Amino acid sequence: MMTVLAAADTAAKSGLAETFGLHTPFFIAQVVNFFLVIFVLKKFAFGPIQNMLEQRRLRIAEGEEKLKRIERQLAESEQTTAAAIAKANEEAIRLIEEARQGAQAFSEQKAQEAIAQAQHILAKADAAAQAERERLAAEIRRDFGRLVVATASQATGGVLTEEQHKRLHDDALAKIA
Amino acid sequence: MIRRPFILPIAACLASLAPMHAQAAGGHALPLNAQPLGGFVTNSMVMIWIAVGLIVLFCRAATRRMSLVPEGLQNFAEWAVESLYDFLGGLMGEHLVKRVFWFFGSVFFFILTVNYLALVPGVGTMGWESAKGFTPWLRGGNADINMTAAMALTFALLWFYWAITENGFKAFIAHIFAPKGSFHGIMLAMMVPIFLFVGVLELISIGIRPVALSFRLFGNIYGGEQTLEKLMTLVPEKLAFLPALPFYFMELLVGFVQALVFTLLCAIFLKLICDHGEEHH
Repeated sequence: MMTVLAAADTAAKSGLAETFGLHTPFFIAQVVNFFLVIFVLKKFAFGPIQNMLEQRRLRIAEGEEKLKRIERQLAESEQTTAAAIAKANEEAIRLIEEARQGAQAFSEQKAQEAIAQAQHILAKADAAAQAERERLAAEIRRDFGRLVVATASQATGGVLTEEQHKRLHDDALAKIA
Repeated sequence: MIRRPFILPIAACLASLAPMHAQAAGGHALPLNAQPLGGFVTNSMVMIWIAVGLIVLFCRAATRRMSLVPEGLQNFAEWAVESLYDFLGGLMGEHLVKRVFWFFGSVFFFILTVNYLALVPGVGTMGWESAKGFTPWLRGGNADINMTAAMALTFALLWFYWAITENGFKAFIAHIFAPKGSFHGIMLAMMVPIFLFVGVLELISIGIRPVALSFRLFGNIYGGEQTLEKLMTLVPEKLAFLPALPFYFMELLVGFVQALVFTLLCAIFLKLICDHGEEHH
């Protein structure tokens, strides 16, 4: 500052300032004037534009920050999803295995039941057949006994007693048993 | 068709004839001093406030309907301001430009507008004749040494203020006088007087810079206006515009370059004086 003033003083003494039209009152007036100019331009001209640019810069920075956050969240989400899918896969494999084992057990159980039922049906059929055979055999014996008695009666001319009829009948049955 | 190699000699010849022709034609020259119109108000001061008014009007129009997606005037204004901001930011660094852009932005657009307004026909050429000579109604703002000196002085004051507040008073003085580099023992004792002398030279350099800023801008603008005016006196009045026309394009370039040079030099001076402190911190 001192050097500026010294330079100005030297210039004034040498008549340089006068030559170029530098006059102290006008110079001071222009300094005040320029301060006013700067103030007016800052306040009314470039202030609003700079504010707008600053706002935009902040918004861009915020946008970039949001983008980074979203990318981070997306990566986290992808990791979570991958983990969930892996877990679901494991669970699905376990369930399938359990179902397969359950189905196998059920199938075996049902087969056993079917076998048991079939055996039961066969046993019942056997019993029924046996009873039928026995009934038929009894019927045949009875008919044969009656036939033997009738034949004997006809051959003897009906002289056989009731006692003889019974004995003859029992003998015939005994022979075919 | 005039071949290019002949254009410059012809232009030089015409220029050398200009003062003689002007005198013969009774033409007037732009006075060296700004003329008072009343009190401390000079004709250059009126131009300055016209320029400020135009800048403010433009900025108000550009920012009337501000939107986050700019268009029209807002787009242009933001492009201009942001381009300068980025340019200065690359030079001074993000921290410094954020702090001082209000001054550098204002100075650049102000000088540019004032320079271009000085080229409007009638500025510096329309006025009245009196006993003191010709007095133009309006005068290019930067064709007045008082204005350019005021700008340079304002910058100088802010320059010291920013340098001291950025680095501290001690670092500011150290930047001027302290030995640069690492010296010890006898070397340090020998270097101290040398750097004290260098500091004195640096002080003179600092003192000269605002003076150089003032005279560079004033000289270029005043010289340009004088050139245009003289060229117009070379030919008959009806064709007066013709020789000046190519130089108008040059003056458009000069107006821009001088605004840029003033702003750029101020930015470099500030960066240089603040840089030293950053190294220390």
